[in-house]
Order: sequence, then C-alpha cells, then structure tokens
Amino acid sequence: MKYSVMLAAVGVFAAGAAVAQQPIRIGVLYPLTGGGAVYGVPAMAGHQLAVEELNAKGGILGRKIESIERDDKLNPASASSTMKELITKDKVDIVLGGLASSVGLAMSEVSKQEKVVYISTIPKSIQITTDKLHKYVFRTSANTDQEGDTMAMLAGKNKLSKICHLELDYAYGNDLEVGILKALPKYAPDAKIVLTLKPKLGATDFNPFIPQVMAAGCDGVLSGLWGPHFVSWVKQAAPLGFFNKIKWISGGEIGSHEIAGELKGEYPDNVISNAYELWYHGNDPSHAAFQARLAKKLNTQETPQWAALGYIGVMYAAAAMEKAKSTDPDKVAEALEGLSIGTPVGKLTIDAKTHQANIGQFWGPMVKKPDRAYRIMEPAEYIQPK
Amino acid sequence: MPQRRHLVASAIVVLLLALLALLPLAGSRYAVDLATEVLIYALFALSLNVIIGFTGNISFGHAAYFAIGGYACAILLTTYNWPLLFALPAAVVLAGLVAAVVGYFCVRLTQIYFAMLTLAFAMLVWGVAFKWKAVTGGDDGFTGIKLPAMLAHYIGFFYFTLAVVSVGTAALWVICHSAFGLTLVAVRENAVRAGFIGVDTRRMRWAAFTVAGTFGGLAGALFGMYHRGMYIENAFWTESANVLIMVLLGGIYSFVGPIFGAAALHLLQTFTNQYTPYWPTVLGLILLVIVMVLPEGLIGLAARLKARRGKP
Repeated sequence: MKYSVMLAAVGVFAAGAAVAQQPIRIGVLYPLTGGGAVYGVPAMAGHQLAVEELNAKGGILGRKIESIERDDKLNPASASSTMKELITKDKVDIVLGGLASSVGLAMSEVSKQEKVVYISTIPKSIQITTDKLHKYVFRTSANTDQEGDTMAMLAGKNKLSKICHLELDYAYGNDLEVGILKALPKYAPDAKIVLTLKPKLGATDFNPFIPQVMAAGCDGVLSGLWGPHFVSWVKQAAPLGFFNKIKWISGGEIGSHEIAGELKGEYPDNVISNAYELWYHGNDPSHAAFQARLAKKLNTQETPQWAALGYIGVMYAAAAMEKAKSTDPDKVAEALEGLSIGTPVGKLTIDAKTHQANIGQFWGPMVKKPDRAYRIMEPAEYIQPK
Repeated sequence: MPQRRHLVASAIVVLLLALLALLPLAGSRYAVDLATEVLIYALFALSLNVIIGFTGNISFGHAAYFAIGGYACAILLTTYNWPLLFALPAAVVLAGLVAAVVGYFCVRLTQIYFAMLTLAFAMLVWGVAFKWKAVTGGDDGFTGIKLPAMLAHYIGFFYFTLAVVSVGTAALWVICHSAFGLTLVAVRENAVRAGFIGVDTRRMRWAAFTVAGTFGGLAGALFGMYHRGMYIENAFWTESANVLIMVLLGGIYSFVGPIFGAAALHLLQTFTNQYTPYWPTVLGLILLVIVMVLPEGLIGLAARLKARRGKP
C-alpha cells in the first residue's frame, strides 16, 4: 500500500516534470467582432475544440498546447500588427486563421518576413498559393480556382447554354470569376455568358439587377453571392418568380446549413451550391464523432460549417510538428509539404509545390424534406480537386 | 522665466530621444516594434493637428494623404524598383500635391462643410485605391513591399523611423512656431479680425492643409514600409476617425498633445486587444470621457492638475 502511494507520487512528479515543459504556442486570428464574426466565431470554436482534444491526449510532442486567440478585426494592417505581436511577444510557434483575402495576404507577408509558418484556414485568394507563395505559407481551405472549376463543371453537367454571371465586385468575386472563365471552355464549350453583373460587396438592394437577369433569357446563373447577399437576393427575387426556371449554381457556401437554416421555407428551388461541411451528412467515418463533440461544445445539433476549417488548421499544425519532431519553422514547413492527414471531411494532402491542401466541398441541390423546416443538400457529393 | 522653460523643454526632448535611441538595447523586439508603430502614428497625428489645432477646422479625411504617401512609396519601391532615396521624397511630394489640390477646394468652406468635403475627397482616394487593382492591388492590398537590406531588420527600421519622425516633428515645430504658425492661430481665433488686419485667411488655411497632407504622406510611407503592405482600409474613413481621436485625446491646443494622444490610443488599443476583442466599446468610452471631461485632452488635464497644485 505504502509503495503504491509512493509510486503514485513518483508518477505525479514525473507527470509534473513533463507538464513543466514549455507549452507549444499556437497563435490564431479570426474576426471576432463586426461583420466577419458570424464566420470567425464558429471557426474559433472549431479551433478550440481541436486544441482541447489534443491537450486531452497529451498535446503535441508530449507538450501542452497553449492557444493564443486574437481578433483580426477584418482589417489587414491590424492583423499584421497583431500577428507580429504574437510572434515577438508571445513567441508563438505557428500562426493559423484569417478570413478575408486581404487579411490572409497580410498575414502571409508577416509570415514571410518573420519566417514563421502560417496556415491560411479560410482565405480563398488564389494569390496566397500562386504569385505570393513562399516557404512558410500553406492553405487548408479551398481556393477560387478550385471553386470556379467545380462551378464550371456543374454548368456543363446541367447543360446550361446561356449563362448569367453574378459576382460581388471585390477580391473574392473577381478571383472566382477568373477561375470560372478559365474552366468553362473545358466543361461547357457551347455555353455562352450573356450577361455579367457585379453588385457591390455588402449590397442589400438587388432590385436594379434582378430584372436585368430575368430579361437576359439565361437558363442558368453562376453566382458568387455569399451569405447575406444571397439571402437579400432571394427575398427580393423569389416573389417575382425568379427561381422558377433559372438554375442557380453558386459558390460561396450558400449550401451550408447556416443559410438554409436562416431562409428556412423561403429557400428557393433550383439552387445547386456548396458547403465545407454539413452537420447532417458526412463523407468520412470520423465525421459523426467530430460533429457530436462540436454539437456538445456549441450546445446545438445544427453546427456551423466554419468550425471544421478552424479544426483542420490545428490538426495540420499538430501533425506537422509531430512529423518534424520539432517546432522549428523550417522543419515544420518542410513537414507540411506533401503531408496527408485524416480529417472529419476525409483524408487531405497538402501539395508539396503549391502548398495547397486538396480539401473538397460538398456540392448538390438544396431540396425540401417533408419532416424538416429547412432544406438540405441531397444528394451531397464531395468534390475534391485532383 | 521663459528661458528656463525652454531649457527644461529641450532637456526633456533630448532625454526622450536618448531613451528611444537606447530602446533596442533592452533586447525586446516587441517593444521596439511597438515604439516604431507609435512613432509613425505620432507623426500622423501631429500632421493632422496642423489643420485642427492651428486653423480650427476638423478634417474627416486625413487618411487620404496617409494612404497616398503609403501607396506611392510602396509602388515606387516595388513596382518601379526606385531606390528609397527617391521613392520616399517622391511619395511625400505627391501626397503634398494632392493635398494642395484638395485643399484648394476645401478651404473655401469652413466647419461642418469643410469636414464633409474632406471626407468626400478621402472616399474618392479610397475608391481609386479599391478600383485601380492593376496598380494598387485593390482590396487584396499591396503586399511584398521591397526595402533596402539596411531597413529590412527591425532595429534598422526603428532607427530610420526615429530619424524621419524626429526630423518631421522638428520641421512641423518650426512651421507651427513661425510667423506662419502664429498667423494660423490668429485665423483660428478670429478669422474676420485676422482678415481685417490683412491676412489672406483662405490662403493661410490652404497652406496649412498642404503642410498637413505632406507630413501625413510621410507617416503613411513609413507605415507601408513597416507593414510591408498597404491596404485600402488605410484610406477608409475609419482610419481618418482613428487619427482624429488621437489628436483629440492628446489635446488640440498644444503642439505635443497629439504625440501623447497617438501613444496613449495606440498602446491602449494594442493592450486591450490582448484581453478582449471589444476594443470599440473601450474606444466609445474614451471618446465619451474626452468630450465630457477632457475637452482639451491629456495635455489639458496635465495643465489643470498643475494649476490645482500651484494653488495654496
């Protein structure tokens, strides 16, 4: 008995010594206030969930993880200052996050200057993994070329011949347009874009645009109107019978439950869109368990898709450090090149050359269900870039 | 007596500069970066105060010149590979020129109409930065600014900033305390009377506007180089509001006030952000206190405290 107590004491001391080791510090920035908070707060929840789970299993390399969380304010200069602070004052080993393209690019710039690895978990700007690519930046979200490619493919599949193109007039919309135009001849060589309209970012009044699209005689719309823009468009266009004949193929994750749950019965027919993750449908055995843990953390069964992106970012950071057996940025960056990990949306691999993960998205039509107040994506096909 | 005051003031300035110059020896990279940011905002706030404190007009569009200086310097350095020796002065001159053109129209108005017109011109600059994607990078921002190797290191950049801001501040001090500066104060206090004495008030205010824009551009150029990027948010009205609050917080009737305002607001914002994302709430409270309790800013508060202590 005495011995077992002593043994236990020794065990506690040994554990104490391991805990006393410096924790691994992960810096993370998401918009937590203002207009971006709707996306940033759930992403941060996913991030925290991953950190909690890893810590419960003993952390990374036997060291606890300390997550240092900051608001990026959706402002690139502010994000740049805050990221520098995380690196120089808090001595973080890696930085994750971002939402807006400009914030992602600003964070990538700091990562390049400070030689600290940055994993871009939400920003889609293609430049991050092309023109502005450098050794220390990686992306685990989709990019506008992938999204545009799939939209063009769906345009071909749905045999659209006269297309109206709607994009928001800012970085994401312009980049997505380029991605679509690049891929369209490949999938739908006979399709013609008869009208291109670019409402402003943050626009709420689409009345000047709706009649133009209806009069253009197109059989389908390719759209990059995300979130509130799509919601406003539906509220203004649906009463005019807009969605009766026109197929609406859209990027911007309007197939996610956040939008379906917001519009409920008002969600229109003929919409085909995407989502990073769907709480009611998984493509991987580990999804159900992940979703259950997230539901418990957020206290709702209908969990938001953005959490998965925050979660995957941490998973990648952890896997890379384990593989490198170090937190040294050069070694972690090398470990990330070509790294494959299992995630709630299946196995992902980061390309060694482009630093882009082959994360896919669920695509499918949004359909009514007799037993539900909101639409669901069915069948939801997980389309991953090759 | 005034001589003694000058002596004390000079001693404080020398001491402050010496302390700042020795800062990198303390070994904290974070402190040096933070000091660099504060120095840049201090120059920005000082430049705005030439309009506010010395001519008595509120500008809601000072970020325009900050952005022009920043973007111009960034583009000349990076896209055109100009050496810093030419890029920086060219950017500053460009900011000054634009300020001269905008000022020409703005000074025709006063008070709220003046403020609105400065805001309108600033939004115009923002629109150009947003739409001219090929040159400015649009809302992706202009990142990857090339710097000479000497300034690529944070300590090198700190000393460069310290030198530029010191020279800029000295130049503004001389301008504000020259006959021109005193005339501006006369215009501020009573424009009609100043006009009767023979002062061309509009031209005086125009000159002040141009001076403010020029030095705002200098601060912007430093800002872009420090962050290695310029973003359209830097031209937005919120940036103009931020620097306006710095000036008000410091105190508009004192030359050095904006320096303290810039330091206090920026440090407060940075430290608040480490604990809570609700900076806007804190900012609101600060504004409330300034308007209700400290209309003359931190400098006014200091003067009031001193006066109270001086009483028997």
